[in-house]
Amino acid sequence: MKKAISRRDFLKVTGVVGAAGLLAACGGNSSSSTAASTAAGSTAPAGDGSVEISLWTYPIGSWGGTESKLDDIIAAFNKVHPEIKVTYETLDYQNGDNLVTSAITAKETPDIIMEGPERLVSNWGANNLMVDLSDLWADTEDDIAAVSESVVSACQLNGAYYEYPLCMTTHCMAINYDVFEKAGALQYLDEATRTWTTDDFVKAMETIRDSGLAAVPGIIYCGGQGGDQGTRALVNNLYSGTYTNADHTEYTANSAENVKALELLKSMVDNRSLNANAGFQASDELQQFANGTAAVTFCWNASNKAQYASQVTFTPYAMAFPSDDGVPELCGGIWGFGVFNNGDDARIEAAKTFIQFVCDDASQAAESVRLTGFFPVRDSLGDVYDGTDQAEQMGEFASLMPYLGDYYNVAPNWTAQRQNWFNMLQEIMVNGTPAQEAADAFVAASNP
Amino acid sequence: MAQTSVKDQKAGGAPQTHSSSRVLARRETISAYLFMLPSLLFFVGFVLVPMGMCLVYSFLDMGIDTSAAAFNGLNNYIEMFQDKTFIRSLWNTVLIVIVSVPVVTAFSLWVGSAIYPMRSKLRSFFRCVFYLPVVTGSVAVTVVWKWMFNPYNGLLNQIFGTVGFDWLGDTRTAIWCIIMILFTTSIGQPIVLYVAALGNVDRSLEEAAAIDGATKFQIFWKIKWAQIMPTTLYVLVITTINSFQCFALIQLLTRGGPLGSTSTLMYYIFDMAYNYQRFGYANAMGVVLAIFIAIFSAIQFKVAQSDNG
Repeated sequence: MKKAISRRDFLKVTGVVGAAGLLAACGGNSSSSTAASTAAGSTAPAGDGSVEISLWTYPIGSWGGTESKLDDIIAAFNKVHPEIKVTYETLDYQNGDNLVTSAITAKETPDIIMEGPERLVSNWGANNLMVDLSDLWADTEDDIAAVSESVVSACQLNGAYYEYPLCMTTHCMAINYDVFEKAGALQYLDEATRTWTTDDFVKAMETIRDSGLAAVPGIIYCGGQGGDQGTRALVNNLYSGTYTNADHTEYTANSAENVKALELLKSMVDNRSLNANAGFQASDELQQFANGTAAVTFCWNASNKAQYASQVTFTPYAMAFPSDDGVPELCGGIWGFGVFNNGDDARIEAAKTFIQFVCDDASQAAESVRLTGFFPVRDSLGDVYDGTDQAEQMGEFASLMPYLGDYYNVAPNWTAQRQNWFNMLQEIMVNGTPAQEAADAFVAASNP
Repeated sequence: MAQTSVKDQKAGGAPQTHSSSRVLARRETISAYLFMLPSLLFFVGFVLVPMGMCLVYSFLDMGIDTSAAAFNGLNNYIEMFQDKTFIRSLWNTVLIVIVSVPVVTAFSLWVGSAIYPMRSKLRSFFRCVFYLPVVTGSVAVTVVWKWMFNPYNGLLNQIFGTVGFDWLGDTRTAIWCIIMILFTTSIGQPIVLYVAALGNVDRSLEEAAAIDGATKFQIFWKIKWAQIMPTTLYVLVITTINSFQCFALIQLLTRGGPLGSTSTLMYYIFDMAYNYQRFGYANAMGVVLAIFIAIFSAIQFKVAQSDNG
């Protein structure tokens, strides 16, 4: 006998099913496509002994960005380790830190993350979120130290290694060679060494301003969060100042040398041989350089050159930052891998296996470095670009490597000081606050 | 006979009726709760629990290592009112609310009144035009505005002949740029609501008033305004909340700069949590923001109700 369901029963069932559906939607593993949830939902160890791990990378050459080669890297890894499945997400520098912070607070961090010591060591490592990778370092420390001792020291904190490095470079600036040539400003730079003195830099920028060949000689970007290494290096080099003390425990941006440099830059802004834009981030400044509006950029490296290669219609020429003695000290960039401590030994071991493969495997390590567009931190790898079509371009940046200065990015409060640095630039360049006063405020706010 | 029936009911029939009505009432209650259950779960899970967590965290000194969080008493609240950037952000937020709420409401009512008498197709066209910025993603909107405000290649500077002027980088203009963009993205919904509300105004009252010699202004003020008051109240509250919570525009355009001139409470909370990783302090500011929004909304309800009454 067919029994009709009453309206009340139907509504009750609908209510219960709806509530259950809502609960199901709110709980459990998500398979949505957002960065945080994708990783969390796909990293559970499988029952057959295989393991799934997740990798997040910032845009470090072809390890991230819009033309990522991560699929090729993972395919090469899976030929050797088919039992480890690797999923990945690419981050950008504008929102990447926020995504990672969100993942940390939600306890949904990826297994592996690729960036530099300022994040992996000084921030996440210092906050007990990372796995100590000392075991990976055991066989390679000497090889890495042979390239740079500062790489070894930058990757550790209190005896624990929170980063396993892959590559490094120097951050530099670049000029629009064509504009400099037409304006007659090439006389102020030493093309053989890619260096110039502070006085010559001032003269060159005034020459560019007077020539009218570029809408603006150069832009000091005072906004945003990333690209701070450019303006830091500019300020520190002009009169040989330092950013931190030798122990990297305190910021010294208010030293006499740095204040003198900030005052010089302010005077250049006032006489229009430079512009300062509080609304500009590093990416905005780079875009103005790439489209020929600005004649120099203070945020240049091999990766940026590759990124803007299709847009520039002139010759971008990498230069060291100007210094009073003509001997620059450039900021270094070190990139490598860290492992978030997710409390799962199988996934941690799998993550280490992946890292070791891409950094140390004889068949993969050189290619891993080439994909970053930077230089190896392992002496044994030699010149990884020799005989490749990247050799000429990388030679330009290799010539700047001898100017690599102190790697101070491991100083405390690193994340907060970056914000304070831009605030300080805005105070001086936009608000007209005396350089000493603003620099003192920066140091007071940034030092622990 | 009738007395007997009543006695019978009092003796035995009444408890039966009470019992069945109690069962009926219980069934109705259960049904009502089941109807509410999905929304209730959502409300509890995504509103009440986070609010409670926010309140608890506001008393902690908590960074990115949440396991190291320590009780901080009222220090976060004390620090807040000594923090110049917080005060600046609070002032900017109030400025945005004070400027944007009346302007958005008045402009929406004006546009709604202007397009309401139009022919159906023309009215729909204008509704689409004004609603377009609402359905367009805020990222797309800000990218276009950022291009227009660009100091060197931007449309505004090309038109005004002020190439080089940094609209978003000047402390005098940045907040007004934000308010202007917020205005364009805020008017769509109120206009649509006002057009609908004006359509529901009783025509016979308007005609009677006109016959009695009422002026257009009197008809609007005494009849239309009174009848669209619930819509106005809704528009006021929603616009106030949206203005208080203005975030995406600032995050994408100015990041609170220059010198905190566009920082709002909402952005400063984000800045403290994500850039400075001070979650306890950020949560304390979240609590204060919620209290401010509640106070403003309550005032608006009160004022609008007394106007209506």
